[in-house]
Amino acid sequence: MGVVGGEAGVDHPPPDPVVRLEGLTKDYGRHRALDGIDLTVGPGEIFGYLGPNGAGKTTTIRLLLGLLRPTAGRATVLGLDSWRDSTAVHARAGYLPGEPTMNGRLTGRELVSYFAALRRRPADVTSATGLADRFDLDLDRRIRALSRGNRQKLAIVQAFMSDPDLVVLDEPTSGLDPLVQQEFHQLLGETTARGATVLFSSHVLNEVDRVADRVGIIRQGRLVAVEHLADLRAKALHRVEARITGPVDLGPFRSLDGVRDLTVEDGVLRCGVPRPSLDGLIKALGRYPVADLSVTEADLEELFLAYYSEASADAA
Amino acid sequence: MRLSVFARTARDQRRSMVAWAIGLVLLVGMYVGVYPSVKGSGSSFTKLIDQMPKTFRALFTTGGGVDFTTPAGYLNTELLTFMGPMLVLVYAIGAGSALAGEEDRGTLDLLLANPIGRARVLLEKFAALAAGVAVLMTALWLALLVEGSAAGMDVPLAHAAAAVLHLGLLGVEFGALALLVGALTGRLALARAVPAGVAVAAYLVNGFASIVSWLGPIRASSPFYQYIGRDPLRTGLSPTAVLVSVLSIAVLVGLATASFRRRDVLT
Repeated sequence: MGVVGGEAGVDHPPPDPVVRLEGLTKDYGRHRALDGIDLTVGPGEIFGYLGPNGAGKTTTIRLLLGLLRPTAGRATVLGLDSWRDSTAVHARAGYLPGEPTMNGRLTGRELVSYFAALRRRPADVTSATGLADRFDLDLDRRIRALSRGNRQKLAIVQAFMSDPDLVVLDEPTSGLDPLVQQEFHQLLGETTARGATVLFSSHVLNEVDRVADRVGIIRQGRLVAVEHLADLRAKALHRVEARITGPVDLGPFRSLDGVRDLTVEDGVLRCGVPRPSLDGLIKALGRYPVADLSVTEADLEELFLAYYSEASADAA
Repeated sequence: MRLSVFARTARDQRRSMVAWAIGLVLLVGMYVGVYPSVKGSGSSFTKLIDQMPKTFRALFTTGGGVDFTTPAGYLNTELLTFMGPMLVLVYAIGAGSALAGEEDRGTLDLLLANPIGRARVLLEKFAALAAGVAVLMTALWLALLVEGSAAGMDVPLAHAAAAVLHLGLLGVEFGALALLVGALTGRLALARAVPAGVAVAAYLVNGFASIVSWLGPIRASSPFYQYIGRDPLRTGLSPTAVLVSVLSIAVLVGLATASFRRRDVLT
């Protein structure tokens, strides 16, 4: 393959990325919901699309599936334009909507048979049955009689049943109990092991944390960061609260890397520290009698704060 | 070529379809059942209606004459002028708004995420609407023939067929309008309300055209005129009216397809 430099002919063009967003922009009336998103996701990758509710995650996903028409820019899946070639894109992609709504009068089996017929892949019903067994979902019950969690399972089943090259999942684990989530995460692993790509959105850092290779952080319609998870983890703040008896010298705490909002009040020391500084913090605390200690992982908003403070520090 | 969306939609409509067909058969039975007593005093009924104010008469008879002394005249006024079209329109507008219904409920997202084009989905939904109306019209036609002959009202087979064909086209036309409004807006309420309003207006235009002179020129644009203005039960099929109806339906469905392909799917 090693065609290097200006060889004549384009016998081996580089493979198309599985997902490519180029200046993807979407306006709803005067409101700009998505503002020039650029992103590529490669084969075999699990990409977490992270942001608070209303940030534009669902808009991005529905543009990627050609359900929305971009105001500017474009989205492509395996080189196919999401809007113009949406039918071809759909043949290669599985989709789990944020609030999956399915005809309640159908049974799960009728629904997957319907979709398998639309995909002209009758064998998908067999694969759906296997997935349903795995998630302990009864395909013969009417959808309207299913609990929220079971409906979510059915939505997962139909998204994965055709062994798609790309699976797009909008908040996939909402409504799933932890055991099912575990099974689901395993399914994601198997999916990428056979070379397929997963793009999923979440507003919960924890979830992305466990499965994603890379994450993109979206805020108010802009992609503010795309990072490997290890780098993101390093930036994530932990909220620490320690009740200490006796006077405290704040000096060693102030010198911790990335420490924020350090205060001592009524014998309670509070601060936010990124993960790499946790060790130093514990050692500094070790010199004092600690009556109580709590460490909580920062939620998404705090992660953004950490990210922004760093970005503005770099800019300064 | 597998028509999966058509098949699914038709299956979803199956149960209500049976209820509608039974309703139509019973309705015909009721009108046919009372005919013998009406017939006896047919001429006095006709006189009574002749004495009504002109506006009133125009509404009841959609501008045509009234003749209760013949079975065709009776059925025309009683069944085919008001009750029949109303029921067919309610059914057809309901079926035509099925696509908007899927969008309104949110089931359209997953349907369209399958590798099937939007135009194809819309056309199959339209086919399901047309097939549903065809089934109902067949039921109505059979009811007219069987119940009519049982009551000794011999309605000519071909004329009855012409009347239900024109009625069916009327229904499909308004169903296609519901499809168009749904394709444009994605709103179920609009997809039902707009065709219903247009139907009332079209009914009035056709009815009043005989007495309001400025309505005369636009009368032919009313689908009701295409349906019953030429009196199909007595005069048989009107190829012109069929052509006008089919063309209108084609335009409505074409516009619906074009607009549905262009816009965002609502959540």
